[in-house]
Amino acid sequence: MEPHPRADTNTAPPAAGAPAERGRGQPKRAPEAQSDRLRFLDLAARRIARGVEPDETLRGLYEAAVPAFADAVLVHLREPPAAREGQSDEPLVLRLHSFAQGPEGVVSAASAGGAGPVRPTVSGAFAELLLGRRPVFGEVPEIEAVVSELLEPVAGVSETGAPGRRLIIAPLYGRRHLLGAVVLLRAGGRSVFEADDLLVAAQLATYTGLGVEASVPSGREASAADALQLRMLPSSLPETTGVRLASRYLPAAETSQGGGDWYDAIPLPGNRVALVVGDVMGHSMTSAAMMGQLRTTVQTLARLDLPPEEVLYHLDEQAQRLGSEHMATCLYAIYDPISQRLLVADAGHPPPVLLHPDGSGEVLQVPPGAPIGVGGVPFETWELPAPTGGTLLLYTDGLVESRNRDVWTGMELLRGRLEAVAARVAPPPLDMLCDAVLTLLDPDALDDDVALLAARFDGFAPLNVAYWFLSPQPQTAGRARQLTRRALHRWGLGSMLDATELMVSEVVTNAVRYASRPIALRLLRTDVLRCEVGDDSPQVPRMRRAQAGDEGGRGLFLVDQLALRWGATMLSTGKVVWFEQEIPEEYRQHCQEGADAA
Amino acid sequence: MSKGFVEAEYESGEAGAEGMRRLDREGQAEAFDAIGDRYDEAFPYKKGQLAAAEWLIGSLAGGARVLDLGCGTGLPTARQLVDAGFEVVGVDLSRRMVELAREYVPGATFRRLDIADLGPGGPHDLGRFDAVAAFFSLLMLPRGEIPVVLRMVHDLLVPGGLFALSMVEADVDYFTIPFLGNAIRVSGYLRDDLREVVEQAGFAVVEESSYTYAPEISDVPPEEQIFLNCVRRG
Repeated sequence: MEPHPRADTNTAPPAAGAPAERGRGQPKRAPEAQSDRLRFLDLAARRIARGVEPDETLRGLYEAAVPAFADAVLVHLREPPAAREGQSDEPLVLRLHSFAQGPEGVVSAASAGGAGPVRPTVSGAFAELLLGRRPVFGEVPEIEAVVSELLEPVAGVSETGAPGRRLIIAPLYGRRHLLGAVVLLRAGGRSVFEADDLLVAAQLATYTGLGVEASVPSGREASAADALQLRMLPSSLPETTGVRLASRYLPAAETSQGGGDWYDAIPLPGNRVALVVGDVMGHSMTSAAMMGQLRTTVQTLARLDLPPEEVLYHLDEQAQRLGSEHMATCLYAIYDPISQRLLVADAGHPPPVLLHPDGSGEVLQVPPGAPIGVGGVPFETWELPAPTGGTLLLYTDGLVESRNRDVWTGMELLRGRLEAVAARVAPPPLDMLCDAVLTLLDPDALDDDVALLAARFDGFAPLNVAYWFLSPQPQTAGRARQLTRRALHRWGLGSMLDATELMVSEVVTNAVRYASRPIALRLLRTDVLRCEVGDDSPQVPRMRRAQAGDEGGRGLFLVDQLALRWGATMLSTGKVVWFEQEIPEEYRQHCQEGADAA
Repeated sequence: MSKGFVEAEYESGEAGAEGMRRLDREGQAEAFDAIGDRYDEAFPYKKGQLAAAEWLIGSLAGGARVLDLGCGTGLPTARQLVDAGFEVVGVDLSRRMVELAREYVPGATFRRLDIADLGPGGPHDLGRFDAVAAFFSLLMLPRGEIPVVLRMVHDLLVPGGLFALSMVEADVDYFTIPFLGNAIRVSGYLRDDLREVVEQAGFAVVEESSYTYAPEISDVPPEEQIFLNCVRRG
């Protein structure tokens, strides 16, 4: 369970928008105003992101914004919802969906049925303004014509006279299309909105728009390439001990074609995990398809437990076989929670950013190799410390580069954003970090798709592992049983002894039969007891029915019966056969301290 | 002792099986020449090793003569023993390691020598010692040589002398492993077998402890470290 950020229980309003009791004679802007705004936005982002359907998303917006940021918030959605801009001369029709107001933030839904109380038809200057995507103050002349209609449900809050800077109207956008508008209003007794509050409003509207759109069935409007793209990204990330993961993917706003960004996380033997991010250049059906092929190739290579530079080398070869019209960038990293090291190889991809446990951000100096598809270029693996409590962020260039911002500026902004989040909540929850990072995106310039993979290094204490090399000999299975017994006693897992010894013995016996070099016996204790037996023979054992009189062959049947899970993986250096057993609750983490003096 | 004298010790060529053994051993040493300081970076927090040296310090009289066999960079053991007021001689076959040790622990004497040549009456007899420490050094030998070297350690000690030994638990004989970007060959015993080999060489094991240790480097897997505190019998 991650610690909750301070702000979760006590919503701090942004200082610049603080209630009037702050006193009018004070400086307009407290030094902490910016960080308070960020804190508010983080909280808001998480509340809004909780929603899985539009009503919930909007409720998140209301909870976050009223009264902390505004005294009344109204959301008008577009009717019909799926129209495309620029393809129709029909006027925009907005329909009030719901609103919240007052110190309690009471939420009211617009009455059901087609004839809502407010149904402004907007055209001309105001429509242009909404399509311009930027939030505006109530003082701009284009709003005057519609403002009373928009504010009608909260007429008590809005006083007579023009609301001016007590009003912000923020267009509500999904990934591409205008979905409606968010109207934010402050009561007369409160200080007016400042320029920076437009940014806050823009972010609120961005979260809300993406949330509303994501929660609406989108099959009809997502392009085929988008669908292909999304289907080829991992549906879920692996849950491994020693590392926590979170990811985000956002398609480009403008192009109706899918991009080629992908990310992946692949468990490796010894509780390590491969972290991958890649980007096929171009936006088309074929780049999405190419991405799918490269992703599959990386997965296959990763499962062989090849070192990073070899994964990229073979990926490059494969890309050339697939056709050279597509170049791609890819970053491949392996995190080892036991040695607490990171191996990284880079094929033309922007460098990862490491958020250190002390809250400082570092753009990792990993020299980029040539992109995938160039051919015949060697790659290099770099080894770095991976401090426990640190967070590694892999991303695609869409996050840091846009037509308004070069990649280096973007990386510095990213680093700064990570540090800003870590300064408020240490350590920041991964989802919060991802959401905070996405706020770097300029909704006006979402030219490229964005993939994001965040990994929190949890580490893995050595006292929960036991590793041995054993020369393959007739007595090796017996020795492996003896070592297993010792480790299980040390961990207070005597109750699991019989089954574990039996399985270790069977798997080691099988390994000894084919191995020519010493085999590796590894025991890893988490909530499960994992045993791995590695040898240098690539022949992966298959479960087969033992015939009467067969000496062997029953081993994997036993394992299959007794283990919670098991598997056999071919590696570049041989294979690993592993199995896991659940550790009874009362025996988990039985002994935590120090070395065992025998 | 001058550096020049020590460096000249292995200039003469040797032939035959002994020559092959030397070449092989030199290869092991060269790996450590290349590794240098990175060894201590990859293996920090030598808790077991510090404790074993503490045992020597607590058991020996001031001014005792101690041999650090396979001293590496001299850290932490040779320094620990010098700081405790002992006369320390460190031996390692890696030229670079001996250089580093001389720099880091000026209070000790370091020699670039092969463990196998230190025996009484041998080519480089360094005299008798009150204690010998061999931390993760005998594992660089083929298994067949380990009992011989253990017997030699026995003979280098005064009667009742102390021997602090550490090894990595494994059942392998001169097995090539990747090690800090190099390849080295290592041997090991399982705990009970190691104890037996040590006892047969004329030692009584007074204390045994083990630790699971994860080096801070990706190419060396976690290891089970065994520490035996021994006394020379007879």
